[in-house]
Amino acid sequence: MTYLQQYDPATGTPEPKDKREVLRLDILNDIKILRRRSLTGAWALSLLLLISTFAWWRFPLLPLPETFIAYLGTPPSPPVISIVFIIYTFFAIILSLSRMMSGIEYYGIFSHIAYLTGFFFFYHVAGALDDNFWAVFAAGITILGVEGYRIRQLCHEGILRNRERLAYLEKTGRLPTDE
Amino acid sequence: MFRTLVGRALVPVGLTVTGFMVVCCLLLYSAIRNGVKHDAALHAANLADTILKSTRYAMLKSDRETLATIINNIGQQKGVSHVRIFNKRGVVSFSAKADEINRQVDKSAEGCIACHRGPVPITTLGPMNQTRTFRNAGGTSVMAITMPVYNEPECFNAACHVHQPGQKVLGTLDVGLSQESLISSLAVIRTQMIIFTIMTLLLTLGGVTALLRRSVFLPLQRLRDFAEASVKGGDSVTTPSHLPDDLDRIAYSIRLLAGKGSGVGQKRDKTNSGT
Repeated sequence: MTYLQQYDPATGTPEPKDKREVLRLDILNDIKILRRRSLTGAWALSLLLLISTFAWWRFPLLPLPETFIAYLGTPPSPPVISIVFIIYTFFAIILSLSRMMSGIEYYGIFSHIAYLTGFFFFYHVAGALDDNFWAVFAAGITILGVEGYRIRQLCHEGILRNRERLAYLEKTGRLPTDE
Repeated sequence: MFRTLVGRALVPVGLTVTGFMVVCCLLLYSAIRNGVKHDAALHAANLADTILKSTRYAMLKSDRETLATIINNIGQQKGVSHVRIFNKRGVVSFSAKADEINRQVDKSAEGCIACHRGPVPITTLGPMNQTRTFRNAGGTSVMAITMPVYNEPECFNAACHVHQPGQKVLGTLDVGLSQESLISSLAVIRTQMIIFTIMTLLLTLGGVTALLRRSVFLPLQRLRDFAEASVKGGDSVTTPSHLPDDLDRIAYSIRLLAGKGSGVGQKRDKTNSGT
């Protein structure tokens, strides 16, 4: 075999040593990325806790609600905000469960933080944050908990798959033929 | 726990159902509480209006004794924390509590600031803005409502004492109602909702767990035990009965594989002993 022999999947010929090393490093890098991604849920929950703390103290760094009302007009009434909030929570959970069921590799979770912050803000400006703070917080924990669990499972399966590929590469000198 | 099939099946279900139910209950309780408080404020406004209408004639006739008696009688009612009338200068003219009479009211106090915030006092407010909630000296939660006594043509045309026609407000009625019964009702509603939520959660999660265990996990466990026994004992192990259709086919395939495996093993043994 020559040093620059081309990889032929039909014959299952082992890769040259340096190309094997590149593949090995690629797989290890994928594992590293997946490990980092598996913590996305934890980061999202931490960010939710931080924003909830700001909301609990009524957004001390922002202007008063009267200023927002003066510039942006009257906010929707609390019952309307609650209806929209329930609909959002319901469909966010349904979406997460459907992604879990179909195994879709989607890692975006921080958009939910933006939506929840929006709901905190709307309740704050409407003067109903004291009554509805815990509802928004509980919804955030639920949605981010389910999404974080889904992402963690996805990453765990990806890590196992990559470990199998790595073991195969080290045993046979090439990647599995189905790739 | 997250690696087992049980954990992976039940954790998302449990988290989702629990979270959504808690959110719904919190929002529902908040809506009920706001509705009850709104009704209480309307009731307080109606009561204040009734008092003003009841005392109007006595005020017109400047019959202070009758007015004081009416105020005292109302103050003795169950659930009424305080009743008083201030004059335009903020001095208590009539009160169910004798020691409050002739006392000056602080305009910057919580119940007064809504109208007296600016240089010119506001003369009309909606029922919700007229109410305030606080704890009195006895520790009782009180909802108080303030209602202005407006100047009317019969007032500035009366013979007893003259109010200037330009004077819009002659005084203010302040009524305080105890909120203890409201608070206890809300506590009962809250307890009932919590119990209902817990029962529903237990029923939902328990039902899902029981069904999954009966239909999936127990048959899988029997299949697993059968597979492990087949590896050791070959095709002499009895196939589990009454498995769901999909698992039944898997058990049949395992049995065939175990039989083939034992056949190959016997052939190898014969070859080895023959040489």
